[in-house]
Order: sequence, then structure tokens, then C-alpha cells
Amino acid sequence: MAVLLCTVSFDYFFLEPLYSLEVSAEDIPYFLVFIAWAAIVAFFARFRRRIEDDLRQTRDHLQVQLEERKRREDDVRRLNEELGKRAAALEASNKELESFAYSVSHDLRAPLRHAAGYAELLQKHASASLDEKARRYMQTIIESSKRMGDLIDDLLAFSRIGRAEAKMGPVDLNQLVREVVAQASREASGRDIVWKIGALPICFGDRSMLKQILVNLISNAVKFTRMRTRAEIEIGCVNAKPDEAEVFVKDNGAGFDMQYADKLFGVFQRLHRTEEFEGTGIGLATVQRIIHRHGGQVRAEGAVDRGATVSFSLPKMIDEPAKTARVA
Amino acid sequence: MNHLGRILIVEDDPRDVELTLTALEEYNLANEVVVVRDGQEALDYLHCRGQFAARPAENPAVVLLDLKLPKINGLEVLQQIRSDERMKMIPVVVLTSSHEEKDMMTSYRLGVNAYVVKPVDFHEFVNAVKELGIFWAIINQPPPGSAKRSP
Repeated sequence: MAVLLCTVSFDYFFLEPLYSLEVSAEDIPYFLVFIAWAAIVAFFARFRRRIEDDLRQTRDHLQVQLEERKRREDDVRRLNEELGKRAAALEASNKELESFAYSVSHDLRAPLRHAAGYAELLQKHASASLDEKARRYMQTIIESSKRMGDLIDDLLAFSRIGRAEAKMGPVDLNQLVREVVAQASREASGRDIVWKIGALPICFGDRSMLKQILVNLISNAVKFTRMRTRAEIEIGCVNAKPDEAEVFVKDNGAGFDMQYADKLFGVFQRLHRTEEFEGTGIGLATVQRIIHRHGGQVRAEGAVDRGATVSFSLPKMIDEPAKTARVA
Repeated sequence: MNHLGRILIVEDDPRDVELTLTALEEYNLANEVVVVRDGQEALDYLHCRGQFAARPAENPAVVLLDLKLPKINGLEVLQQIRSDERMKMIPVVVLTSSHEEKDMMTSYRLGVNAYVVKPVDFHEFVNAVKELGIFWAIINQPPPGSAKRSP
């Protein structure tokens, strides 16, 4: 096309009308100019074609990228939808769990109360005509229903920790431990308990939940040192990390075998028989659940008959005014 | 014991009724007790209508209200009592199996006078009912218009 155009223009501008086919020597420079033009035009044409190819390639590439992007967007949308569905399912199962807890709380307790109540009434009305064995059976019914009541209450309290909203703020563990120890020593009056209480940090957490931890650990320590003539219970803190406090409660009581250490924190898991030490086996599970909600860790060390130490880590209040401001 | 205030017990479970009455009888508090078995009956009693149309129009000295009731539940009964000009001063005590904070919060928000969780242990239960009976039927001065004569 370019060559043709050049030829035509060359003909038009430079050539005499072609009457004859004779080529004179004068025409040679014109002819050379014509060739040069043709070469230049051809070069540009090729150059242009290359650019066009490049452009086409880029366009195709963009097209592919666009498709890829669209596919990804579809993926994201699909995943989002799935996530939404999962969230809805989770919410539904949470609601179900809540109504389950509610019906445990209300419907299971009623027949239990009746069993206990009527057994008591029966004992009162008929115990004179019952023999020793029958009276023991009666007593067992009453005690068992009481125990089941305790188990239900503990389980409900445990499930409430997962559902309740945590009110986070600075908590002075010193003050909390003082309150709990005062209560515990009142309840254990008549026993010889040596309390060693070290300096404790101000932690960041939910006050009532942290108090629950200390109540559980300290009452455990009091319970499992019952057979000691002189019980020693130590509460202190190891400052392992700048932003984290590790608090421990140590006793010289019954202790436990380290090979069962992982079972200690299970719900209703007990390492002692009920007649040795009373309890439902939910105390340490509750402790673990609260600590995990606070982003901490809990562990226990001990040896049979050589006491136990339960330690837990909690976020410390480092920058007190700043954090308080943020909480408020 | 003619200075006893009348106790209205709203309770659907016959065993709970029997245990409550046993506890009240033990302390001679049972002679001024009316038992109704669901929320509808409770409102009929309070409004003196239906089977209670002929009763003297006095309010009870206290209502012991269970929450989980057939037909109209306890919280609805409480709400209706509190929104009725003639009845809103009646002392209401929720006596329930429910430990749920939600129920307790709703009850207090609706203006309940006390919230008592029925203890599983029978002695504690008897004790709780006795204390409630003594306080609301004897010690407390109910608002005017209640079925309690002065000693």
C-alpha cells in the first residue's frame, strides 16, 4: 500500500507523462529518491505493525488479567457469602446453646428439687418405721440429688463464662487476693494455715472473672492441704515478660501425679475420689476458660503428696493512664 | 392468725405447690393462701373475673410468681400487674427455678419486689419459703386495698 502510494505520488510530482518507455539518464536520481522514499515508508509501516502487535498483545494480556480479576472477585463474593452463612449458622447454634442452658437451668432443676424435697418429706414421715439400711438409702437419694444440683449449677456457671460479656479494666490483684484470702481463712477457721503473699501487679481484665480465678485456686489450695497440720499457701508473681505477669498459687497439700497434668483442666475431671476431697471438678476448667478469654496461659506443676503449683499469665497494665483512658 | 396477709401463689407444677404449701404449713402461714395454676388464672384472680368474679375485691398481700407458666408466662403477668393502675402496687416476688441473669434483669426492669431462685436443697427451700411468708404476710405493711387486717 505504502509502496503504491509512493509510486503514484512520484509519478504525479516527478515523472513526465509516460508516453514512452525510454528511461533517460536524468531520471536516475528521481528513481533513487523514489526507492529511498519507498524504503522509508516501508520501514515505518513495519514499525507501525510491530507497535500494533505489541498493543494487541498488551490488550490480550489485560483481557486475561481482567478475567482473572473477575474470577477472583467472584471467589471473594462466594467466600463472603459462605462466611455470612457460617456466621448465621454460628449465631443460630449459639442461640440454641443459650436456650439449652436455659432449659437445663429451669427444667432440669425442678424435678431434681422435687426428688430431694419428697425424699426429705418421706424421711421425716417414715424414718421411725425404717431400718438402718432403708434410712441409708434415703440419705443417699437426698445427697445424690444435692450433688446433681451442684453439678448443674457449676455447669451453668461455666457456660455463662463463655457467654458473658467481659468488662475489661485495670484490676489490682493485691486487693483481690486480700479479699479472697480473708474469705478463705474465715471459712477455714480452726486450721493452721501460713499465708505467704508476695507483691502482685495490676492486671488488665474483668474484675469478677479474675476474682473467680483466685477464689477457685485459693479454695483448692485450702482444700487439698486439709490433712496437713500446718498448711502453707503461697501466692506470688514472677515478672517473666515486661507486658505479662505470671501469678502462681502454691500449696504443700496432696499434689498430683504429673502424668495426669493435662486432665486437670478438663470439665468434671477429678484426680481425687469424692470421699477424699469433695468437689465437682469444674474449678480448674473455669480457671482455664477465664485465662484463655484474657489471652493468657495456665499450667500446673506438682507431685503426689508434695503439693501443687498452679500458675497463670495475664496481660499487665504497663501504660496505666493511657490504657485506662482507652478503656473509659 | 387473722392478721395474716393473703398470699397468691402462681405455680403450675403440683409438686412445687405441695412443697411450698408444706413449707408454709410448717410455720402456720398456709391459711391465707390462694393457689392458681397458670398466668391466665392469676390475672383472672387479680381482676376478679371468671371463676373469681364473686371474690371480695381485695388485692393479695403478695404474689409469689413462677416464671415458666402455661398460657401466659410469669413475666407477662408481672408486666400486666405493673401496667394496671389498680394493681401496680401489689408486692410481687418471683419464685423460680431460673438462675438466668436475663430473667432476673427483665423481672427487675418490670418492677418486681424480689427475685428468689428456688433452692434445690429441701431445707433451704423450706427456709426460703418460710422467710418469704413471714416477711410478706406478717412483717411487711402491704399497700392499701390489700387483704390484710390489722392485728
